[in-house]
Parts: sequence; C-alpha cells; structure tokens
Amino acid sequence: MGSKCALKLFGMPSVKKNKQNASEARQGKLGRRYWKSLDELAQTPNFRQWVEREFPQGASELEGTNRRHFLKIMAASFGVAGLGLSGCRRPEQYILPHSKQPELDIPGVPINYATSFPRSRDNIPLVVETHQHRPTKIEGNGAYEPYRGATDLQAQSSVLDLYDPDRVKQSSRRTTTLSRAQVNDFLSSLSRKHEATGGQGIAFLAEGSTSPTRERLVSEIKKRLPRALWAEFDPVDHDRSEIAAERLFGRRLRPLPNLQKAKRILSLDCDFLNSEPGHLRNAADYASTRRVNSHQEAGKMSRLYQVESTFSSTGMMADHRLRISSSRIGSITAHLVAEILDLTHRESYLSQLLRKKAGDLGKNEDWLKNCAKDLVNHSGKSLVVVGGHLPIAIHELVHFANELLDGLGKTVEYLEMPKTEAASIYDLVDAIDRGRVETLIVLGGNPAYNAPYDANWKDAQRKVSEVVRFGYYFDETSLLAEYHIAATHYLESWGDGRTFDGTLVPVQPMIHPLFDGYQEIEVMARLAGSKEIDPYFHVSKTFKSVTENSNSGNGFEKFLSDGYLPNSGYESVLLNANLNRIRKIASSFQLDDTAPSIEDLEVRIDPDSRVNDGRFNNNGWLQECPDPLTKITWDNAILVSPRLALELGYDPDTDRSPVTKIFDSFIASSRRYNQFEQGREVAPMVALTIDNTTVEGPIHIHPGMADYTVAVSLGYGREKVGRVGNGTGFNFYPFFGGKTPGIARGAKIDLTGHSYLLANTQEHWSMEGRAIIREGNLKEFEENHDFVETMGIESHSPPVYGKDKNLSQQAKALNQPRGESLYKTPTFGGAQQWGMSIDLNTCTGCNACVIACQSENSIPIVGKDQVTRGREMHWIRLDRYYAGGDLDKSKETIPNDPQVTVQPMLCQHCETAPCEQVCPVNATVHDEEGLNVMAYNRCVGTRYCSNNCPYKVRRFNFFDWNKREIGEAYKGPMGKIATSDLGELQKNPDVTVRMRGVMEKCTFCQQRIQEAKIKQKVKARDSNDVKVPDGAIKTACEQVCPTDSIVFGDVADPESRVSKRKKSELDYSVLGYLNTRPRTTYLARIRNPNPEMPDYHEYPLSRMEYEEKSGHGVHESDQGQSFEKLSKGNGHGDH
Amino acid sequence: MANIFPKWANTIPLQVLLGFLLLGGVISAGITYYATPKYTRVGYQPKQPVAFDHHLHVEQVGLDCRYCHTFVDRSEHSNVPDAGTCMNCHSMIKSNSPALALIRESYSSGEPIPWVRVHKTPDYVFFNHSVHVNRGISCVECHGQVNRMKEVYHAKSLGMAFCLDCHRHPDKAVRPLDKVYDLDWKATSVNAQIEEGSERVMKWEVNAPLSCSGCHR
Repeated sequence: MGSKCALKLFGMPSVKKNKQNASEARQGKLGRRYWKSLDELAQTPNFRQWVEREFPQGASELEGTNRRHFLKIMAASFGVAGLGLSGCRRPEQYILPHSKQPELDIPGVPINYATSFPRSRDNIPLVVETHQHRPTKIEGNGAYEPYRGATDLQAQSSVLDLYDPDRVKQSSRRTTTLSRAQVNDFLSSLSRKHEATGGQGIAFLAEGSTSPTRERLVSEIKKRLPRALWAEFDPVDHDRSEIAAERLFGRRLRPLPNLQKAKRILSLDCDFLNSEPGHLRNAADYASTRRVNSHQEAGKMSRLYQVESTFSSTGMMADHRLRISSSRIGSITAHLVAEILDLTHRESYLSQLLRKKAGDLGKNEDWLKNCAKDLVNHSGKSLVVVGGHLPIAIHELVHFANELLDGLGKTVEYLEMPKTEAASIYDLVDAIDRGRVETLIVLGGNPAYNAPYDANWKDAQRKVSEVVRFGYYFDETSLLAEYHIAATHYLESWGDGRTFDGTLVPVQPMIHPLFDGYQEIEVMARLAGSKEIDPYFHVSKTFKSVTENSNSGNGFEKFLSDGYLPNSGYESVLLNANLNRIRKIASSFQLDDTAPSIEDLEVRIDPDSRVNDGRFNNNGWLQECPDPLTKITWDNAILVSPRLALELGYDPDTDRSPVTKIFDSFIASSRRYNQFEQGREVAPMVALTIDNTTVEGPIHIHPGMADYTVAVSLGYGREKVGRVGNGTGFNFYPFFGGKTPGIARGAKIDLTGHSYLLANTQEHWSMEGRAIIREGNLKEFEENHDFVETMGIESHSPPVYGKDKNLSQQAKALNQPRGESLYKTPTFGGAQQWGMSIDLNTCTGCNACVIACQSENSIPIVGKDQVTRGREMHWIRLDRYYAGGDLDKSKETIPNDPQVTVQPMLCQHCETAPCEQVCPVNATVHDEEGLNVMAYNRCVGTRYCSNNCPYKVRRFNFFDWNKREIGEAYKGPMGKIATSDLGELQKNPDVTVRMRGVMEKCTFCQQRIQEAKIKQKVKARDSNDVKVPDGAIKTACEQVCPTDSIVFGDVADPESRVSKRKKSELDYSVLGYLNTRPRTTYLARIRNPNPEMPDYHEYPLSRMEYEEKSGHGVHESDQGQSFEKLSKGNGHGDH
Repeated sequence: MANIFPKWANTIPLQVLLGFLLLGGVISAGITYYATPKYTRVGYQPKQPVAFDHHLHVEQVGLDCRYCHTFVDRSEHSNVPDAGTCMNCHSMIKSNSPALALIRESYSSGEPIPWVRVHKTPDYVFFNHSVHVNRGISCVECHGQVNRMKEVYHAKSLGMAFCLDCHRHPDKAVRPLDKVYDLDWKATSVNAQIEEGSERVMKWEVNAPLSCSGCHR
C-alpha cells in the first residue's frame, strides 16, 4: 500500500495533494467543479490568502480605528465612569400593576392571536405571539392545512415594520400636521362634496387586495359616487393565467396547481416554490412528493423539469434544467403542446401549425421531446406550470397542455373567482390626461416609485390638483401629494382577506395603534359616507354576509380564534378547454422568438426575493438577508451569465498578479469581475441601456443564466425611504412596463469604468469542496442505498464511536461512548437529548428560517459596511454550493450550467464540541440535554471558540449593535445611544440581549425548550410525567419551514420524528470525521434525473467532482473507469 | 566600615510581603462579605407607597398567597395585585382609611401604584415561579417568612450560589403540594424532611437543572 493510501486510511487529508490539485485546477487539467464562488474556482491569489486566513479579515480585526486611538477612547470612558460612582447604588425599581387587571392577561405569559398577512393575492394565515400586547413574533397558523403553519420571509419580518421609527406618525397637509378631527372632517367633506356630482372628478388608486370587506366598501363608494373612477394597481401582477382562463373558458378562473398529485412537473420560467402567489402551498406539496425516507419508497419521488432564463430557487430544485431566454419560451411551449398532441395522436393539424409557428428549436429539441414523453407517460399525474410574467398566449397554451395531459381536476384545479371590476393604472392616467380627475385618492401602494414607465405616473400625479395619499411611509408618492393620511400597520388593524384558494381569513389587531394612524377600512367607510365607521363592525358584517346561509351562533368569535373559515374557499369547477379557441390561438399565435444577442439583450425584471417590489425596502432584516443564490445583501445587482461576461470583455481567469492588479486598478477596474478582495465583492459598474433609458448598476456573474439574458430585481434604489433603505441598490423600474413588464428586450451593456462594493456573504466561511453536501441520483440510491456512508473522510477513517459504532442512536446519545475521541466525553444526564435533522432534499433556500431565527432570538442587523467585513450575525445561514457541468466541454472557467444545492448551516451542537475545549472561562459548555450552550455573562470575548469551530457558526458582537445608532458603532462607548426605543418593543423577552464583546450562536431555541419543559412540569405536578412530548418544541426555523426540512426533537426517544429521520440511510454528519459528533445531521439530497434526457448525468455533478477530487483513492491516472466501480461501494469495507 | 542598615532590615522584605498578603486577605474577605448578594441584598427593605402588612393579611385575615399573587402558579412572573384586588375587600372594610387613599385613587383614576421592587433577579436570569410552586417548592424557600413580615424585606441572598444549593439538593426543600403556600409548615424534623423529600424527588422525577441553560437563555 502506497503512502497515499496510508494517509487515506487514517482519514488524514493530504495537504500536499490538495496543493497539487489546486495548481492543476488552475491549469484546467482537473475540472474543479465544486466551488462556492467564482473566485474560489478561479483560485486567485486573493482567494488563497482568504482561505488560509480562515476568517475574513474584518471578522477578526478591529478596523477603522487604530489601537492607540482605541486605548485613548477606553481610558476616557473609564474616567467618565469613575466620576459619578453611579454604579454603587442599587437603583430603585418599581412594579406597576394594572389598576384593574384585564381579563385573560397574565403577566409573563404570551398571548397568541390569529390574523393574516395581507398580500394582493394571497393572505397568509398567521398566529402572532404578543407579550403584554406587543407583537414580537409571527408564526404561520398551523390549523390552516395547506400552508402547514409556514410563512415566508416577508411575513416573518413584517413585525419589524410595526416598530419602524421611520413610519408616518401623523397625518399631514404639506408640512403642517393634521389632527384626527381635521382628517375626519376632511374625509367626510370630500365625500359630501363629490356626492353632489355623483363622484365626477374623483378617482381612486388602490393596491390589489383579497379583502371582501374592502370589496363591499368599494361597491358602497361606487353606489354613492357612481361616476368615480376606481383603479387598482400592483406593480408585479400575477393575473395573466386568470385572464388566459377567462379567454379560454369564458369566466374568471384561477388555476390552482396540486403538486401533491403531480409526479412529473414541467415549469416554464416559473418560480412556483418561492415567488409565485400560493408558493407556500406549492412548496409544501412539492416537498411531500420529494421526501425520501428509505430506498424502498424512493421510487415514488416526483421529477421536476425547469425551463428558465434566470437561475431561480425553483431551478435549483430541478432535476433537469434548460437554460433559455424568456423570449424563447413561447416557442418551447408551442413545441411542447405539439409534441404532446403527436404523442397522444390527436389534432395533428394543430400540432403542425404550432410547430410551423414556433420555428426550429435547434439543439433543445431533444430535451423537449424527451421531457414531453415523460409527461405524457405520466398522464393524469403530470403538470405544466408557467411563470406569471410570460405573455397571456403562453398561459393559454399551458392551460391546453394540462388538459391534454389529463391534469384538469387532478394536478390542476380551476377555482371560480368572484367578478371584480377595477380600472387599470393606464385608464386612470388616461382620465387624468383628459382632465377628468380633480381629486385623486391613492390608497396604499407607491405608484410614483413603481408605476410602469409607460404610464408616466409622476407627470400624471402632478397634473391632479388635489392628491390625497393614504400610506404607511412618507415615500415618493407622498412627496407629490398634498395630503398624507397615516396608515396603521396590519397588526394594528381590522380587516379580512382570502388565501390563494379563497379561504376566508381575518386580520385582527393585537395592539392599539402606536401612532395616530388610520385603518384602511375606516378611511374607506368615511369616503363611502357610511354611518358606521368602526372597522370591526364592517369586518363582522362581511363575515355575516359570507356565512348567512349557515346558522352559526358565535361564528365570528370562532372565526377570529381559528384564524380561518373552513370550507370557504372558491368553488372548484370541472371544465374542458374550448378547442376552437385553441385553434384560433394557434393560428393567431405571434411569436417574437428572435434569440437575444449581445447587441439585443433580454432583461428579466423580477420582484426582489427579499424587498419584493420595494415595499419592504426599509426593513433591516430583509435588507441584511442574503439573496438565496447571489448571496448579496443590502443591494441588488445586474446578473449576467458567465458567457456574456466573457464577451463583454472580462476574463475571469486573469491571474491577478500584483502587477496586473495595479494595472487593473489604474486602467480598467472594470476588468475585475466578481472579484472578492478580502470578502468584499468589487463589482464593475455598467450602464444598462434600453432605447434611451439608462440605469447604472454593478454586475454580478450568475452561473446558470441564459447566455444573453440579464436579470435585475425591483425594489431598490428608492428616492424617498427611511434610514434603513436609504442608498441601497439601484432602481430598475425605468425598464418595467409594457405588455409583459417582466421581460424587456433590446438592451445593451456598457462599462462605466467605475466599480462598486457589494456586501456579499458568499465567499465567507469557505469549506473547500469536501463531502459537505452529499448527493446521489435516485437510481443509484435504489441500488446502493448506503452510498452516503461511503462518502467523506469518515468512510475511510476508523469509526468515531469505536467499538460502539453499532449501538443504537438512542444509546449513543445517552451513554456517549468515548470511541476514538481524545476529548473526555462528557456525560449528559438528562432524560431527553435534543437533536435536529435537516433534509437537504426538500430545502428550497427560501430564507424564511433565517428571518424567523432573527425574529425569535433578537438578532441585530449590522449594516452593509459591517457585512463587508464578515460580521453579519445570523445564527443560521444558507450555504449555497455550485457544481459545474460543462466545464470541460466549453473550455470556459466558469460553468454555464451548474447544479446548485443549499445547506442550512447553524450550530451543530457537537457532542464533543471543539469550541468548549478552548474557552478559557467555561463560557461555552454542555448542558444535561446535550446542547452546547453559551453563558453570555461568562464570555470575555477571546473568540477562541470561533477559531476552533469547524463549522464557523459562531457570531461575535463586535459592537453594541442593539444599543447604538447604525454608523456610531466605531465610537464605542462614546457612540450615540439609539434615539428610538421602538425597536426594543420587538425583542423577545425570553432571550437575553447580547452586548458588545460577547460571542453568540444558535441555541436550538433554548427558550422554547425551557418553556416546554416548564409547561410539562407544571402539568405533571406530583406525578413523574415530565417528558416533553414529541413535537411540543418547535424551533423557530422548524416552525417556519414550508417544506418541513428541519425537524427538531428528542434523539433519546426512538419514536420521535427526529429519531425516525436520523435512522434514514441518507443521514450523515457534516465533517463527521472530526469526531465532533454533531447533534444536527443532514439527509443527503437525491436527484431524480431522467436517463433519456440529453443532459442526463449518471451522478450529480457535485458527486462527480467529489469522486474525482477526494473519493475512494482514485488516482489521477485512472479516474474515469475506477470511479464508477468504486462508487458502487466496492473497495469499501470497514477500514 | 559600619553597616548602613541595621540587621533587622533583613526582615523588611518579609514584613512587606506579609503586609501585602494580609492586606490582600482583608480586601478579599471584605469583598466577599460586603459585595456579595448576601450582604448587598439581604435586609433590603424599601418603603412602600402603601404600607401593606403581610402579617396582618395572612395570619389574621387568613388570605392565601394566591388571592393576591394570582398568577404565581401559571406564569414565570408572580404578579403584584392590581388595585381592584385590594378593593374587593376595601370597598367595604376601612373604606375611608387614609392609609388606603392611594389604592382608591388608583382604582378610580387607572394610574398604577408604584410598588417598590424588593426581589429581583438580573436580566440574564430567567426564573420561573410556576414550575417551582407546582413542584413542591414553597414561597418561603426564597422569600423567607413573608407571612410574618410587617413590611417586606429581602430575606435570602438569591445569588447564584443560593439557587444552586437548592438545585443540587432539592430533597431539602421539596414539600407536599398542599403545603406549598403554608409558609409555617415544616417537616417533623430535618431528617424527616430529607427522607420524605428524597422520596418525593424520586417519585416525581424532580430534575432541577444544574446546567447554564436552566436559567440563562
């Protein structure tokens, strides 16, 4: 046995070999396919330095002030502290009980209220935790089955908006504030004045809403003011599929995909898992068909084909992904329908027509043919979904495709929608231009920022003599309005709404309005001249009218406490598409399928994954949340494909020697490209031009995009916004408009020669491409179901539990066999032992857990500047790994067609935790129940623990994030104390607020564990029934997860959900060979590709890279052949 | 040449060292005694806005602790009663007493009475009342004989060592559940308490947490 093998035997990574590999990778000999960022792939000297440093520079050094200056400040502050001797007296504190104790209010016990998060098409049912009547944490309402208690990140973070110090506190007219009485008078005088003329000259512009109460009030306003113009506007609309259904079937219908029943899914540019309305339901249903517990049931797994121009989160989940520009999706769809027609031997005339219209597909034809075959083979269990931004004609074809696939009523239901009549923003602008509008009332929204460019909204609004704005923030629209009426937050308001399937849900207030705001219903009731203006009255009245047929006595109270009305969804209808209509579409089908080119780029404009259309721009949690794929925080960027970047004149493989680096910075800083300088992404600024409109922005290379498509996101670059959103990102609304606002053509990119700093968390915490994420294909898993065990260094090293390796998981948790550990394993006496399992197979990277954790554990934001120094505080992060496919084929340095997997990474709660052994003050120790805990008060901030943590999940409070104003951090104790204490109201009272100089990390939601234990003990009284039942504790990340990827529980109980998950063959520990014995383990990801597809790979790309690089003793000389043999498990005894 | 220093000067370093040691000892002893909760907290007896007499209400009137501290068995927090609770009786008894003027005022105006806090754990300590009283730990263990106090004072140190003493040996304190609010109750002897106490600890599976996470989150 050679020396290399000997090294492997002991599980020692060969340093020499790694270096060799790296140099070979640079020379392009060995496809280095598993990398975290482009620079890692490129192996720039900067990156090498970065990796060797272990921490990003800023994360371990004090910057911005030198040591001498620091000492000066410290000396001064000690001096000041000594003067007053104020610390010596015990401060007198008071207990202020109620004068009369309100019912149900128990100090110290939170109350949960049901409500819902209003969105324009889909209210998300919620349960909100309130402490002494201040909302602190938002959770999904688990009683509403389709969403399984999940929420998305916007809903999670909306509680922070309630305490936003920048919200409008009082109504005003120009610069003078208005009292409540003045506003009331003004509104009723408006209503009276216009009643005389029947509403001549008054117009409304409102946001889309699902509220039946609002709908009723709109009809009351229309009754009173019949000539008034009621327009509704949402910048990002999703009603094309409904319009298409209306055209096809003659009535307003909403297609509702039923992914639980879908075995084969083709998604046409549709991010149905993360951004389309109803995505929570989709994600939950999709996950239920993807979850694999054992190899026996693996065959039931569904398969997802994705055709898309950008790289979406859904694309990340796909088994097959076709990169193609959105402009070409029309022809793809036409070919798909033709193919299905041919395969089912129907309407050959139609199929020929469609093919003729659609033109040639080129090399993609094979892909589509096999995909269509797979769909047809699963007729009745297959589904085609389509992105909301695509033209209506495509939606019509997709309706038809689903009918051909026998999906109607099975994989897709049609819901009968109520008729609504609202004018569009274009109609309104038209009316203004004709001088028909004297008074304009803008209810919510922010059209001056986000109206389509072709509506010319700003000019129109200026033409109206009297503009009344009702809004939560004083924003771009308010600047152009005479009156601003302050709106309340939804947590302060009465209302109602419907979920995506039409189920009625309430919106109920849980706190008295913090400021002098108005509820929307109240404003509308006053405008409608209604006698009753109390919003509660209106909501209960609507409820009665909805339920008038059923005689339920205290129905409304039950409705409020349940949080939804069962069986109140829209009616599902069964139908057949009108074939004549389809023929007509096919013959009138106009396709603009010219492929984009570098001179005629396609621009895809999507709402941002975090701040949406800009409405959440002032939310610090969302701003600091990294985008799931680009990992950029606090900004948006122009995403381009590697090929386009290359053609624009960047060479990613430039070896940036010091000389060229200087040259770069002097002459063409734009040549730097996704260039990380110590964790800061220095992005070249470019000018993106369509016709005569130019927007400048930084570019970021996003592998997996269609070659000549650039993607931008909306919601940034606000002109008038609060202090959080101020100066973040770039505004791409100037390109947004026309028939299909999401897709623009004819764009050009020019370099400006400047560069821009992006706060990107991508390159932090590099893990150097080991078997961190384990993936396999379904077929392999069925044949070789313990493939996961054969990966990673631990498969070569002696088992970490030594002779006790075959003990049950429960015995291991309770007895902690010492195994090969040098560390004296502590014994954990607790009867229950906590652990977590994370299923990588279903994680969609939606970020909801990141925000839920932030909200539950009072995690501060640090600001863009500090993120660039690697000091973000998130306790859970999502690591995103690329694995590139066409590296060798294309001879390019950056793969165009990568596979992506995300991995939630949080404190692993190692049983033999490396951090504990280096803490000089015992601040981090184990508790009886196997958790690695932090005693903040003991921590002296040496950061040794963070150094010694192999997972890099510990976070250090470099500054008093909670106490001082943003930007004042560097002044230390001299910094200005935060002026607004509003934010404190959100903090969870069950969690300690950490101060400067203290290390922190995931605690497995310790407060929830303790709460559940205490609850159980209180219940047990003098019995011994003290074990917390399974499922009683849900960590914040587990609770919020739409796909149930995270499960937490007692690993000492073989019947608990988490134990069952951990028993799976797919279970593995990250860096398990270090003998850290993490309590958090992962389930490997299984891909389900179709062997007949042209882009079929026998193994996931990441797996191939792993096998090549560090698998099974493959020597460079005999890679190809031995890989297959070895990966089947041969040569893998217990070493 | 005569010696400049006398012979006894040889002992100076030793004396200085001894002196420092003594000084150090005194300082440490002083800090241990005067700066720990045993000294700084025990005996703290602020003046309350209304001179509420626990002794009178418990021993003479016979009120249960939970008549006023309503939520002690349901919440982490043992509430101080609202003015309404006082007025349940005092609207009829001593309804014009000047000592109760503040109560009546609070009841009618809605302004809370600023009771001065006596017992306090630091912000980073999460003490839960309900789990203690429901598992056989009486009020008296931490608050002393409040039933005998005319004016409440801080009776025990409530420092971390105090908590841990009990958490290490719960058998010394666990009593029958029906005696939790009977502050005068005592087992027949110290040995009996330990014997019966450990039996309860076994039977009820009392597992008082000793890890950081038990109290610090």
